[in-house]
Amino acid sequence: MLLIHCPYCEEARPEVEFVYGGEAHIARPLDPSTYSDAEWEEFLYIRSNPRGRHHERWRHTHGCGRFFNAVRDTVTDVFETTYKAGEPRK
Amino acid sequence: MVEIGVKIAPVAVSAADLKLGSGPVEGTGVRLSHAETKARYSLRARDAAVLDGVLGRKLPAKIGDTADGIACLGPDEWYALLPEGTTLPKGEGLPVSVVDVSSRALGFVLEGPGALAVLSSGCPLDLAKLAVGRATRTVFETVEIVVWREAEDRWHVEVWRSFAIWLWHAFLAAMHSSGGHAAK
Repeated sequence: MLLIHCPYCEEARPEVEFVYGGEAHIARPLDPSTYSDAEWEEFLYIRSNPRGRHHERWRHTHGCGRFFNAVRDTVTDVFETTYKAGEPRK
Repeated sequence: MVEIGVKIAPVAVSAADLKLGSGPVEGTGVRLSHAETKARYSLRARDAAVLDGVLGRKLPAKIGDTADGIACLGPDEWYALLPEGTTLPKGEGLPVSVVDVSSRALGFVLEGPGALAVLSSGCPLDLAKLAVGRATRTVFETVEIVVWREAEDRWHVEVWRSFAIWLWHAFLAAMHSSGGHAAK
């Protein structure tokens, strides 16, 4: 069982308590109506999909209920670190 | 007020309504029973101090801590298990949410030296490390529960009522199998 450190609960908790939330640090457009189709496609669908370090959102659904960010290696599945939502990219 | 013409059936909130039997059930070193009827409240606030003021008491600040029947489940969320009939002030006009969720969940109690093994049979969290007096939301198999360690060998488990029948029988199955191992 993979253990994930929740930055709010401040402890390692079992993976099944969490839900994956996609790539992190993607800012929602402040005024989508000004976006061209290409820009909107970029925002909605285009992701970095790296091999290696990946910044992603997780939610501790069956715990404290909070979204937070994590850095996970997509090759080894090792979590490098987790940090609270709103904190700068690590 | 608009009359919508829909009749809502009274919700099943007691063990009798859910046909779980009145319990308790004894196993080897473990006893499963229904918790006494409680008033349940879901409390939310970004600023805990405002909620403290509304309730006139200090809420536990650390996630997992409990105080006088109120557990801190998240950074902005508390869960209150209070004696039946207790009502809390609503804090109208303030940025808090105090909601009576009494009919949402049922409480089970697992007691005895075998209780931890029964809970651990379906809960991935290391519950042995949950100190007495602490509580947390977690899962049992795929069902969300709130576990409250009331004493070394006494665990209060809150479960949403639609999952209660399944969880009751899952506990019975775990008690049966752990009892069988203990007898060998």
